[in-house]
Amino acid sequence: MAKILQRMGDGRMVEMTEAEVRKDIEEGTKDAAGRAKVPPLSEDEIKHISDIYTRPERIVSVEPGNEVVLSHDEGTVKINAGVCGGAGLGIDCGRMVASELYERALGADIIEYGHIDYSYKPIRPILADERILVERTLLVTTAPFLYGAMPNLGLYTQPEGPFPNPTELLNKGLIKEARESGEGMVEQAVNDIVYIASGIYEAGADAINLDTTGAFGDLDFVAALTATERLKKKYPDICIEMGMAGEFILGIHGAITYDGVRLAGLYSHQQVKLAEKAGVTIFGPVCNIVTSKSCAWNIARVITFTKACVKASKIPIHNNMGMGVGGIPLNDTPPVDAVTRASKAAVEICQLDGV
Amino acid sequence: MLEAHAMASGMGGMRAAGDLVARMEMARGMRIKEAKEYVASKLKVSLRDLTDPIVMGEVRDNLKLGLVAQMPDRPKGIEAKFRIAELLGIEINSVNRFKAKAGLSVR
Amino acid sequence: MKKEQQELLEAAKKSIISFDADKAKEIAKKGLALGITPAVIISEGFVPGITEVGDLFDRGQLFLPELILAAEAMKAGTSICEAALPKSELKEKKKVVIGTVEGDIHDIGKSIVVSFLMANGFEVYDIGRDAPIANFINKAREVNADVIGSSALLTTTMEGQKKIEEELKEAGLRKKVKTIVGGAPCSQGWAERIGADAYAENAVDAVIKIKALTGLS
Repeated sequence: MAKILQRMGDGRMVEMTEAEVRKDIEEGTKDAAGRAKVPPLSEDEIKHISDIYTRPERIVSVEPGNEVVLSHDEGTVKINAGVCGGAGLGIDCGRMVASELYERALGADIIEYGHIDYSYKPIRPILADERILVERTLLVTTAPFLYGAMPNLGLYTQPEGPFPNPTELLNKGLIKEARESGEGMVEQAVNDIVYIASGIYEAGADAINLDTTGAFGDLDFVAALTATERLKKKYPDICIEMGMAGEFILGIHGAITYDGVRLAGLYSHQQVKLAEKAGVTIFGPVCNIVTSKSCAWNIARVITFTKACVKASKIPIHNNMGMGVGGIPLNDTPPVDAVTRASKAAVEICQLDGV
Repeated sequence: MLEAHAMASGMGGMRAAGDLVARMEMARGMRIKEAKEYVASKLKVSLRDLTDPIVMGEVRDNLKLGLVAQMPDRPKGIEAKFRIAELLGIEINSVNRFKAKAGLSVR
Repeated sequence: MKKEQQELLEAAKKSIISFDADKAKEIAKKGLALGITPAVIISEGFVPGITEVGDLFDRGQLFLPELILAAEAMKAGTSICEAALPKSELKEKKKVVIGTVEGDIHDIGKSIVVSFLMANGFEVYDIGRDAPIANFINKAREVNADVIGSSALLTTTMEGQKKIEEELKEAGLRKKVKTIVGGAPCSQGWAERIGADAYAENAVDAVIKIKALTGLS
């Protein structure tokens, strides 16, 4: 049987038969459906993914008229950052110039600023500088402007922060103490997020992004939801985008709730309902790559989770699709064949509002 | 990677009407279909035209909504956003703040 | 095996899944009284329980505090069994030194791996986050570690995992210690590139791979 070039989750190229690609897709959707207790993909959808992934072209795309809005987490920072978690291009041009590049040279629908550390906590002492740059940038740019950072509750743990690390306390069997520490972290993080987001919104930003929400599990998620709620009360017109960190919420606290719902273990179709309740405007589900599996397996999984999320949601869904996320290989420079296939498949089958 | 996504499924931002459709999602929480229909009706173009840079280049120029290619005397940045807010019937935060700070309106 | 013995092993598994340390102890004693060998109570009763706990955690159906309680139940049950083992059969716990590499302050994944390893009977030395490479080497030498596990969440800090390999060779310890890498930007390809013995996709995978590295499976 003829072999087709395919990518693995770590970006390696391998050869597979069409039957093997198909089998991976079937297994990927079955895995996701079993985990999240959502419907697996239909035969038509499986065939559609298989068609996309077995095409010989290097680049594939949606048909004209089916395009969606693209937002870019931390986008402008990556142009001039020297490091930026490995994705920085190190082009020393400043964020204002980077934002002009994004809107005019790169065709971005939404441009985003972030701080190089991309977490809310470190922005607090330099908020005034960030505000000035935001104000100035908004004078010269036309595209909608988003300011993003991560709640990143890990920064509130010792030694960087004041609170004992809940996971370390848990490993010592100190469950009550771990939960108390976590709850303290949430309070401080909410204060920081609301303070910073308020400053940036008052500088004129169109939207605030709470990125990688859930990175510190249920504590992180409750902080983001609570901060959203407070921001919406303060600024009813503010647009808040919430991007997640994983397909389900890690239970670090295990018992923390929002609106009476325990957060630990929630999958994206459940997360979005709480995000809506809190006042989130655009929701970005996440499904992380499994590097040992093919991209076809991974995208089937992504689409199974995300389709359920889109169906459950009343707000726009911008699926997270980047390095190691959303069926895209885990590389600083993901290959265009893998990116375009994942993009087309997810947009078409999930009926996404954006990526 | 950005360009790969843009080629595969992006609306093209200011090259076409991507930024405008994005604004409707952000300002009113519209889903993509509704946002596209809304913008298309305001611009008096078809849905398909929303991502056609040839059509949208002319439309944007005529309606003074800002262009990718920089031309003298065409609205840019905040100027274009004033026009976009008016055309789409939405509040744009930076426009309102500009008006307030420039003494153009009382908040 | 008699039906009564099989039912007891099933009950041993359930005691871990329901995080019932008292039940685990009671079942261990009962199992020994029934003539089941301690090794079998552990390997066919308690271990399947903690394995299922790991699977449930991986699916988001169990949470970290519950994993800790399950680990305590595991310890309660297995310590009764281990006390009944003849000294010749008592195996020394395998030792793992684990940390997040220097320059990287992400530690949630690493901490979860620590929880899983402890629950599965390993002796774990957590050297924390932003850990200098020398700390990995020195701790491994100090405790006579079987495995060094390193976590990195940034493509820039991953270089630290390569340095661990180099420093181990320089210290003359490379053949004595197995290495395993993990973290979001890592992959099997990365492990092979730097000469690490294994790569773990997640906490459940880490336990499987470390058991294999230390001859426990």
